[in-house]
Amino acid sequence: MQHKARSGRSGSVAAALASAALAVALSACATSDPEPDQRARTTLNTAPADLQLLCAGAAAEATGAPGDKVLPVSSRQLDSQNYQVEVDANGQRTSCIVDSDGNVKSVQPV
Amino acid sequence: MNLSRSFSRRSVTVGLVAAALGLGSAVAIAAQTQIFDPITRKWIDYDRKKAHKYYAAHKQVPEAFRRQVVKFRTAERPGTIIIDGNQHFLYLVQPGHKAIRYGIGVGREGFGWAGIVKIGRTAEWPTWTPPAEMVARDPNAAKWAGGMPGGPDNPLGARALYLYEGGRDTIYRIHGTPEPWTIGLDVSSGCIRMNNDDIVHLHERVQVGAKVIVLMQGAALYKGV
Repeated sequence: MQHKARSGRSGSVAAALASAALAVALSACATSDPEPDQRARTTLNTAPADLQLLCAGAAAEATGAPGDKVLPVSSRQLDSQNYQVEVDANGQRTSCIVDSDGNVKSVQPV
Repeated sequence: MNLSRSFSRRSVTVGLVAAALGLGSAVAIAAQTQIFDPITRKWIDYDRKKAHKYYAAHKQVPEAFRRQVVKFRTAERPGTIIIDGNQHFLYLVQPGHKAIRYGIGVGREGFGWAGIVKIGRTAEWPTWTPPAEMVARDPNAAKWAGGMPGGPDNPLGARALYLYEGGRDTIYRIHGTPEPWTIGLDVSSGCIRMNNDDIVHLHERVQVGAKVIVLMQGAALYKGV
């Protein structure tokens, strides 16, 4: 009985693993469409506005510039997870790297 | 900040070179709006002609440009307006890292600007008085040099939020439009246009004095910084 139960459990585990493998294989083949609210863009590929502002905040802190004199002036996507944002902080140019989760990874003078 | 001076000089230089070469605005940073076609599953260029056709068929703009609440991680206070001129979105910051996102039309090439300004005043069904430089270059504007009364055909639409820098009118506005299909495009002379339902919705939620941050890569002009 114990052997049967173990064999039944391992059968279920094997089936689950097979299903998971199939799901992974299918998802790897499929190209996911953007969500309806993401179905517009421009060819510039700038960073999302909130990420640009997070960099502006970090640049203000790093340079001591007043917040109302700090403005992101350009940005670009580095890879699927990261953006580079150039910020003018009261005349001081800084380069900021921020990821798509909103974590500022670096702020450096240009 | 030295930014406005250096960029103004560069814009003038670029403009002179472009004029000399007969390139018009071709040397400016070109940003083509694209929308995703869920049937062909491809990104397609979205220009004025396609936008007009889409609006005629659907009676509204593509879904991404419709009003919606989105995640927005920022330390800016609720009530602040953030304009992403490149992506054609205006965000009204809400509590809890959220924002109301609206689709907008912005300045065409050479008319885009960026900066930090404030809402100086607002108006319902505003009178439109074209600025002198617009009167000089546009015959349609010239006939309204004395002011066009508010109404459904008025270019400012149902509401206008007047943008001020240091207590002075910048001549730029966030306003409605009688041409709602132009949302998502670079079409204006520097004003931010929204469809009339959206500008009424925004007008009901903003305060005079609210901070407005305008982000625009490749801007020809900077205000307030």
